[in-house]
Amino acid sequence: MLRSMRYGEADRIIHAISPEHGRVGGVARGARRPKSKLGGRLEPLAVVRLELIRGRSDLHTVVGADTVAVHHRILTSHAALTHAQRACHVVDRTAAPDEPAERVHGLLRTLLALLDARPDAAHEGLQLAFRLKLLYALGVPPALGACVRCGRTEHLVAFDAAAGGVVCASCQAGAPGVDADALRFMVQALGAPLSEAPSIDDRPARQVARAFEGVAAHHLGVDLRPRDD
Amino acid sequence: MQPAPIERLVAAFSRLPGVGPRTAQRLTYHVLSRPDEDARALATALIEVKELIGECRICFNLAEGERCVICEDPRRDPTLLCVVETPADVLPVERTHEYRGRYHVLGGALSPVDGVGPRDLRLEELYRRVLEGDPDDPARGSGPLVDDGTTSSGGPTVTEVVVATNPTTSGEATALHIGAELRERSPQVRVSRLASGLPVGADLEHADEVTLGRAFAGRRTI
Repeated sequence: MLRSMRYGEADRIIHAISPEHGRVGGVARGARRPKSKLGGRLEPLAVVRLELIRGRSDLHTVVGADTVAVHHRILTSHAALTHAQRACHVVDRTAAPDEPAERVHGLLRTLLALLDARPDAAHEGLQLAFRLKLLYALGVPPALGACVRCGRTEHLVAFDAAAGGVVCASCQAGAPGVDADALRFMVQALGAPLSEAPSIDDRPARQVARAFEGVAAHHLGVDLRPRDD
Repeated sequence: MQPAPIERLVAAFSRLPGVGPRTAQRLTYHVLSRPDEDARALATALIEVKELIGECRICFNLAEGERCVICEDPRRDPTLLCVVETPADVLPVERTHEYRGRYHVLGGALSPVDGVGPRDLRLEELYRRVLEGDPDDPARGSGPLVDDGTTSSGGPTVTEVVVATNPTTSGEATALHIGAELRERSPQVRVSRLASGLPVGADLEHADEVTLGRAFAGRRTI
């Protein structure tokens, strides 16, 4: 479950990611009533088996839900909850409807299980590593090994989101710069499991986040910049 | 095609939540079929509610005037604060007749992905109330808390904050945030959260596993 919004008097609109059907949306009638069997099962972060009746629009009708996993412990840490919500939000915005999304689904489940097992382990490096891996899962991996314009492997100083990867000083043009720390983080994060995501300082973290947002904007058509920017 | 005033009223009704074009049409014909004074009473009530009702400057509940009826009521326990998301949440808590303290309406719940952060809610006002008591309250305490639950100036101050945000992900996030902040700013204040569990009258066999799981986690000794 990615998102749940109030709808009408007692209903909810839900967004979920499914390995077979990608992002799905549904209306759960009466889900906000205390005696609803659906309400408790349709909260974000839960893993559920959904039963839907296909509607004429993108929104289907939720007629049943069985809980597979509830990440109770995430709710005990504000940091873990915020990271989990951010991850769900990014998946909700980037995953396509009606397309299999097995890798995206698996990646998000891994992150949620990790945060649930160790809520105190939530850190920005984990969030950014998740986002970089998400680009891979969505089929738009950032190219980090060599300049995407000339192929040089040294003096890589910037990230050209439109070209999809790092560029060297002579090809930089207007591309925003990335420090060696940011570049090192991206390489390490993509090469390691989520549970071993490296930590990162504020400045390189902002650069990595900007690179991710740039790829999402150019290649997925999604604006993920923070609203207060 | 209908006369323009009818079209305007249908359009106005259609903007109300849960009212579609057909219901709007039915309501319009109902208004037309009623005596003039009924229509005037409805129009007056609509105008009055917008002109006379505002926010209580202490708890941010709906109020006619500067303070709501609950903040005005001297019988309400000023040492007990119940934190809710919206003014609509005050009513169901009042209907329980279990709670005799005061309220604090946050104006929503934290949702970082929707751009709702701590500064968008009445959280600072809450922490100030807990620390300093209610402004203009004759029984208001001021200064640091001393051992007997009063402030150094002798007035009562908040001793417990009941967080009654919704049992949703955003509601839980808000409750966690409030708990963490109050532990730091006012460690002497007890912060509690409403229990989650089975609705009275429901069968265990039909309970969903998430609610039942929480009911187990929050079980109490009898």
